[in-house]
Amino acid sequence: MTLWEVLGTVLLVALKSVALLVALLVFIAYALLADRKIWAAVQLRRGPNVVGPWGLFQSFADLLKFVVKEPVIPAGANKSLFLLAPLIFATLALAAWAVIPLADGWPIADINVGIIYIFAISSLGVYGVIMGGWASNSKYAFLGALRSAAQMVSYEVSLGFVIVTVLMCAGSLNLSQIVRAQDTALGILGWYWLWLFPMFVVFFISALAETNRPPFDLPEAESELVAGYMVEYSSTPYLLFMLGEYVAIVTMCALGTILFLGGWLSPIPFAPFTWVPGLIWFALKASFLFFMIAMVKAMVPRYRYDQLMRLGWKVFLPLSLAMVFVVAFVLKLTGLAPVS
Amino acid sequence: MKLDQVARGLLLKEFVTGFALAMRYFFKPKATINYPFEMGHRGPRFRGEHALRRYPNGEERCIACKLCEAVCPAQAITIEAGPRRNDGTRRTTRYDIDMVKCIYCGMCQEACPVDAIVEGPNFEFSVETREELLYDKAKLLANGDRWEREIARNIAVDAPYR
Amino acid sequence: MTKILVDGIEVDVPPDYTLLQACEVAGAEIPRFCFHERLSIAGNCRMCLVELKGAPKPVASCAWAVRDCRPGPNGEPPAVSTKSALTKKAREGVMEFLLINHPLDCPICDQGGHCDLQDQAMAYGVDSTRYGENKRAVEEKYIGPLVRTAMNRCIHCTRCVRFLAEVAGVPDLGAIGRGEDMEITSYLERAMESELQGNVADLCPVGALVHKPQSYNVRPWELNKTESVDVMDAVGSAIRIDTRGREVMQIEPRVNEAINEEWISDKTRHVVDGLRLQRLDRPYLRENGRLRPASWAEAFAAIAGKLKGTDPKRVGAIVGDLAGVEETFALKSLMASLKVQNLDCRQDGAAIDPAWGRAAYTFGPGIAGIEQADAILIVGTNPRTEASLLNARIRKRWRTSPIQIGVIGEDADLTYPHSYLGAGPETLAEVAAGSHSFAEALKAAERPLVIVGQAVLARADGAALLAAIAKLLQGLGTKAEGWNGLGVLHNAAGRVGALDLGFVPGEGGLTFAEMTKAGALDVLFNLGADEVEIGPGAFVVYQGTHGDKGAHRADVILPGAAYTEKSATYVNLEGRVQLANRAAFPPGDAREDWAILRALSDVLGQRLPFDSLTALRKALYTAHPHFAGIDQIAPADGAAALTALAGLPGEPGREPFRAGVADFYLTNPIARASRVLAECSGLARGRALEAAE
Repeated sequence: MTLWEVLGTVLLVALKSVALLVALLVFIAYALLADRKIWAAVQLRRGPNVVGPWGLFQSFADLLKFVVKEPVIPAGANKSLFLLAPLIFATLALAAWAVIPLADGWPIADINVGIIYIFAISSLGVYGVIMGGWASNSKYAFLGALRSAAQMVSYEVSLGFVIVTVLMCAGSLNLSQIVRAQDTALGILGWYWLWLFPMFVVFFISALAETNRPPFDLPEAESELVAGYMVEYSSTPYLLFMLGEYVAIVTMCALGTILFLGGWLSPIPFAPFTWVPGLIWFALKASFLFFMIAMVKAMVPRYRYDQLMRLGWKVFLPLSLAMVFVVAFVLKLTGLAPVS
Repeated sequence: MKLDQVARGLLLKEFVTGFALAMRYFFKPKATINYPFEMGHRGPRFRGEHALRRYPNGEERCIACKLCEAVCPAQAITIEAGPRRNDGTRRTTRYDIDMVKCIYCGMCQEACPVDAIVEGPNFEFSVETREELLYDKAKLLANGDRWEREIARNIAVDAPYR
Repeated sequence: MTKILVDGIEVDVPPDYTLLQACEVAGAEIPRFCFHERLSIAGNCRMCLVELKGAPKPVASCAWAVRDCRPGPNGEPPAVSTKSALTKKAREGVMEFLLINHPLDCPICDQGGHCDLQDQAMAYGVDSTRYGENKRAVEEKYIGPLVRTAMNRCIHCTRCVRFLAEVAGVPDLGAIGRGEDMEITSYLERAMESELQGNVADLCPVGALVHKPQSYNVRPWELNKTESVDVMDAVGSAIRIDTRGREVMQIEPRVNEAINEEWISDKTRHVVDGLRLQRLDRPYLRENGRLRPASWAEAFAAIAGKLKGTDPKRVGAIVGDLAGVEETFALKSLMASLKVQNLDCRQDGAAIDPAWGRAAYTFGPGIAGIEQADAILIVGTNPRTEASLLNARIRKRWRTSPIQIGVIGEDADLTYPHSYLGAGPETLAEVAAGSHSFAEALKAAERPLVIVGQAVLARADGAALLAAIAKLLQGLGTKAEGWNGLGVLHNAAGRVGALDLGFVPGEGGLTFAEMTKAGALDVLFNLGADEVEIGPGAFVVYQGTHGDKGAHRADVILPGAAYTEKSATYVNLEGRVQLANRAAFPPGDAREDWAILRALSDVLGQRLPFDSLTALRKALYTAHPHFAGIDQIAPADGAAALTALAGLPGEPGREPFRAGVADFYLTNPIARASRVLAECSGLARGRALEAAE
């Protein structure tokens, strides 16, 4: 490879990344608005409706507000760590998107261990939380960070087993390959959500816990911890935490789409539906998952901490473990196991 | 744990019914009004921003009796009084309300013998600095001029019940 | 003693008590408007009605003596009922009558909140009126710059009329017309001429007469009240200083039977605005002939620099009229540590020496003691302007039973009849020799009193005149045990205290007049002396409150605290030690005077041994134990003082006596700063000119 080729590749990757990031951030801006609107609608409220038509520019107004506000750094805080934590959190959350295939052959990095990469990256996110909680030098922030770490670690276990079942069915760690494995003549019925339905449910709930969404938003339970690990943050650092959280949520939606909802595939596997670009299908599916996450926020009251732990360790862990065995058993018996 | 309970749990019965209920509400008419563009109903006794009223001939009503200052439970009102320069009548030389201290209890308007200090219908007086919430006499009189029609109507409507 | 039943409680009271007094002895409260303990009984408001068993209708308890009550049919004591239905009904009726014409303008009335009518209407008023006709309208009257009228509110209790006629002794107010047409008026629309006129507004039970200078300024409920003493004259009236926030709003009298009963003079009351005007609120330093604002450190450094290497014989300290004992003591201690002998507090050069004994410079019989005097000789003073309340006490004495009062000096309207004996020392000599007709009156008296004005002592022949008066008193002898007939009438509040401290020239020290001569000293500490010219030459350090004469001559100005702004001890002309309490804070950078002197002593390297007022007082009480007796007069040996005085050398001169106070309203820097008192002074001057024509 010549130098020019290397440079060209780097430039291409950079351009792709920028395009992806811009698209992703715009999507998140409206996901955020949708989150608030859905929540409001279920509670018979209107939600943000002043900035722009139907409040469409609300997220951008908020962004501007966060950026121009004064960042307050507590006197007792470890300044460098305090500022580093939200950066780490947001960067890691965005980094996961490097391997997400938005359509066939679209991932920026089509690596063979994509799913492991996402898994690793999302686990690292907990460091941002812990650092932020510790560096704030506040008991609320610290307790929030501890809760968050425990919660993320707990649900990663069952999340891991869920992914193992999918991997067994798909026979690959490559995300694009997982999607392709679901491409059958059955269309929507051939995707894993149906065949691995209990795992889909476990995945969905674990995703909520993994991203600190209600009903598992204990780390920032405002009635107990004010705002958890974010309590001392303001302005842009707070914005980064907030952004990181929503990126993580959307990442989970994308992951769920890939693992269970057939990624970019059309639900009805013949023309004219197959003419619709895969990106549209992907976005629709991810949006559906996001809608479900938002609805859960509106429907379900917050769990108690011990309930959260019980659910993770005493229900999901045995359940997903059992499913791994069942799926493996079934695959072996039926001979459907993919050969690679 | 009974089997049917487990089955219900696995099949997400509660989640589905809850989801259905939430969706029903999702499409219901909204209970909230579209606030900045439409106002809710405010009764004639609504206690909003303070105003100092004038008589129709332009003479300020306040006679500096200091009853509002005395009755104010939050001690938000400060009055200094003296004879007015031109006619020697009893007037305030200073009438300050600390809107940050005020608890909007309405005791001042109850105490006022001449309906000078009133809590008007306005509640949209948020400002950007704390100092702007320290109202002086000029500000209160300006409020009175601005809201006089509404205030007069409210007092008239409420008069039979007093 | 007579027995009487009040609401079933039997009390034993003197027969000349009124029913009202008897009821109060029994603990029953009687509402009243016209009745006042210190005024004659009028019985015209009818609010004090009580039911008297056997009487055909309710009786006015203030005007019905106990001895006028008939006993019961079987000889049981007369029974009064203050809580019966009839009494209540009667009072409610009276209240309704009073409110027929009383306007409902409480919100704009300055009396609101401390109004007798308001309070009693709460108890006896009804909530609606049965009177459809228009209310009475009465023209406002002008009765002077100190009292504003709102005659619609008048309920004709005539307290003001009686006060002026009886206590103040000027018949300036009266009532004309009858019934609904009755009006209180000065008739000629002239200002009242009494120097006690402010008290009529205090007496008024409604808002008809209110204090004009404080018009609409305050409500009683927003004031913080501090009990203190007055320093406008040497009487030391008991006052209550009312403050709102940091500002003194008004000064009201406090009851002190021994001094001012419950009156105060107008100067005491209306000096309030003088406390805010013309104040020195930061140190100043004279540079190139001009005073410029400076910091405390700069001011102290300038003094220290000037004092360094200066011979203590060329340093002096003088104390003015308003200085409290504490700062005078601090100054004296500082001067002692600097080995300075040139000290003086006698601003007018009065011939008084603490060495002659305390009785030689105090008012021997005390103010309350005037009521025992049975012949009074007033020498060279006009007590009406120099000590108004003492004059009121003389009038009170004269009213109880007319006594002989003689005046030597300038004749003036003293509010009571007196015989004018003469103008100068010759007349005094005649009286002393017994050749004057008034000498008979003095000889006949059991408790003769000679009141000597400061102006007499301030003359060059002051000591000789004092000796002559002492001889006169010695000649009269002591008929009554413990009676000291020498009354030295001071007119400076701080003088007696400073004399008690011995703030007079030490061995070889210069007197006040010698110190203030041009070129007499290099450095002069001036603690609030504003009545004298200080000659050129000396570097003058002025410590005081107002930009008055003293401050104009100063090279360094140290801003001090006025009497309302510090806790200080004052000794009045009787020698009574009294505490003035702090009601407000000094303005700006000004500090309490003793603290300034303490800080200065540090810079001068002569640190005074007290860090707090408590420590200062401890040192003061150790050095002069009698200051510890607050509100008490330390006993003094009158006879010994007379002996000491009689031995003074000198021959009296011939020029006539002059009154000590030229202008009653402008005697000190605080009063001179007051606009209200300036207006009063102008009016008084106009009257004097009118009288002269």
